[in-house]
Amino acid sequence: MSVEFSELKESARQVVAGAELPLDEKATWAQIVELGWLLVGIPEDMGGLGMGVQGTCVIHTELGRGLSAAPYLPVMLAIGALCEAEFGDRDTWLERILGGELVTASLAASHVELQTNASGDEVLNGLLSAVQSADDASHVLVWTAKSDALALVALDQAGVELVSRPTWDVTRRLFDIHLSGVALANQTILAKGSAAQNIVNSLLSQRDFALGADAVGGAAALLATTVEHLQTRRQFGRPLALFQALKHRCADIKAISAGAEAMLFDALARIADDSASAEAEHRGKAAKYLATSTFARVGEEALQLHGGIGMAEEHPCHLYLKRALLSDNLGRDAASYDYDIAASLLD
Amino acid sequence: MSTTNLEVLRAEVRAWLAANVSKDWRTAMTGSSQESFVALQRDWFAKMVAAGYATPHWPEGWPGGGRSLAEQKIIFEEVARADAPRLILYFVALYHAACTLFECGTDAQREKYLPGLLKGEIWCQGFSEPNAGSDLASLKTRAERKGDHYVINGQKTWSTMAQYADRCLLLARTDKSGPPQAGLTYLLLDMKAEGVSVRPISQITGDDEFAEIFFDDVKVPVEDLVGEEGGGWAVAQATLASERGLTLVELTQRMRYSLPMIAQTIKDSGRSGDAALRRDLGQVVAKVDAACALADQYLEKRISGTEQVGDASIVKLYFARTLREFTSLGLRASGLQGQYHAGFMRGATQETGNWTVDFMNSYNWSIAGGSDEIQRNIISERLLGMPREPKTWKLAEDKS
Repeated sequence: MSVEFSELKESARQVVAGAELPLDEKATWAQIVELGWLLVGIPEDMGGLGMGVQGTCVIHTELGRGLSAAPYLPVMLAIGALCEAEFGDRDTWLERILGGELVTASLAASHVELQTNASGDEVLNGLLSAVQSADDASHVLVWTAKSDALALVALDQAGVELVSRPTWDVTRRLFDIHLSGVALANQTILAKGSAAQNIVNSLLSQRDFALGADAVGGAAALLATTVEHLQTRRQFGRPLALFQALKHRCADIKAISAGAEAMLFDALARIADDSASAEAEHRGKAAKYLATSTFARVGEEALQLHGGIGMAEEHPCHLYLKRALLSDNLGRDAASYDYDIAASLLD
Repeated sequence: MSTTNLEVLRAEVRAWLAANVSKDWRTAMTGSSQESFVALQRDWFAKMVAAGYATPHWPEGWPGGGRSLAEQKIIFEEVARADAPRLILYFVALYHAACTLFECGTDAQREKYLPGLLKGEIWCQGFSEPNAGSDLASLKTRAERKGDHYVINGQKTWSTMAQYADRCLLLARTDKSGPPQAGLTYLLLDMKAEGVSVRPISQITGDDEFAEIFFDDVKVPVEDLVGEEGGGWAVAQATLASERGLTLVELTQRMRYSLPMIAQTIKDSGRSGDAALRRDLGQVVAKVDAACALADQYLEKRISGTEQVGDASIVKLYFARTLREFTSLGLRASGLQGQYHAGFMRGATQETGNWTVDFMNSYNWSIAGGSDEIQRNIISERLLGMPREPKTWKLAEDKS
């Protein structure tokens, strides 16, 4: 990791370290806006820091450590879409978002279709699930299942319905958004057709890397918490950390966590921000799969290694496990990541 | 060296390998005799030495030497990419023997041994013993000083290719009185000397790439002592650390290049639509990528001087676990076909497509060079700061 990324990581870690878990949604969001973290992925010629997906993933990792409830991930997708689209109002929109206006996005597969209604108008119909903090947002970034349209859709209009979907993971607030007959022409259209396809490809890969980066941070923090518990808790007259059976499980967790982290940042360096490429898609899927499944595995092990205290709600152990299990099921059609990765070799 | 120059080197190495790696060495080495394996290794070693690619890690002034770590890495990557034979027969010579002499030997010892090594003398390692594996410091082979000689008595085991070796890196005990590490001495032993006998060990694969070595009053001249008498432990640590990460760069890359081989096995079995196999393959692909990234990252840390004790253990453990999953998947995909006995391939790594053999050989990497369990001790103690086990435990009837 180069010096500029290491410095970014250090400063982000300072913010997360010592704060109460999980990081509060409102307070963290205010910090994200204030510290300029929204600028990290914006190219320099658009007034950003030009640190690309790699830079935003550094932040995701640190926010993941703190189980952050702030909707940094969906907002970075909205910003990514704005930067990539050939779109006249870009500066105005970037300014609004940088000023703290929330434009959110879905963390799951899109089930929205672009259809033609009886009057011959193009309308958006269908479901967007796992849209984070949507009740605080003015707009949602919408792409269709076929990736043939990409638009910012205002949430306070007819045909848009928000349904809160409480999840076991209490560190993120998710909503379903039902779109029925929402006229495309009345929305802020970012791209259509093959231009939309390209941007959506890029966004899906960015989202895979972001979910993976968040998981990498969560896994590292949970391992540290677990080791600390084993160092402190004494049974049979000695710290649990002295038992080799437990040490070895921690070592395995360390190794798989290190593998997922190294792979994710290696992949990001290799794609060099060309996240619309087929290589980025493949590497992003592999990185997301490995990172979130590893985080889930670390969560499972940590719960066992914590013993009884891990079953208590007041202890943060379960927060990590639940965040890991949710993340492992977010993204593209989440059940098919490992299946898809094999495609390049088998099909 | 600038990035451009590194890429020039990469192109040179790639072109040389394309012109010099035999296209059919895998076929020739399948079901072959060990003699033909040794002949191929000798031939390939001579070519690599002549090209300067066998010794990039040697200091400046030696043939092929003076290459930076970044350059060495490129050579290893290209060797893996070209699917060249691994220099298994010469690994101990090129890395363990040479690096020990560079770090701990005298000028006279280097002049005496390195030219012969470059001409193809084979070295083996005499560290492990029947009762000293992971607990190497407990070894018992004796070295007694008698005038200008040490007299060696004892037994070594798991010595790779010792039956072909000209010389041996020997770790023996000169003093039983102090702590186990303190009484060890490092010697260079002539395998042709009187009193040395070697017995190859038949392995579960049918191969015999390891051997036992027996020493019966073998004389080693005092000038072949490396370092101080009683200072052998530190010298052995230098030996074992000599390739720090480079081998794992090569091995992880070779594993990546071998992924299509598993895919082919799955296709040949007519089960490429089998969702369970596909998922397992997808998982292995991701983990192989991670193993490569870890090896890469480790070498970058060495280059930038930010390596921590324990980092290498993570790479080795991750590689060993992934190799097990990789070969295990090949084994499952090959089904009943994999159970029919077939001649194995010599001089390849653990990816030959003879999956039962590959699977069995994958245990080499989880047992040798510090077992997975030793790596887990190191990771938990050195990187996670967990306490070491107390050493006070003893069985009542344990007389040792």
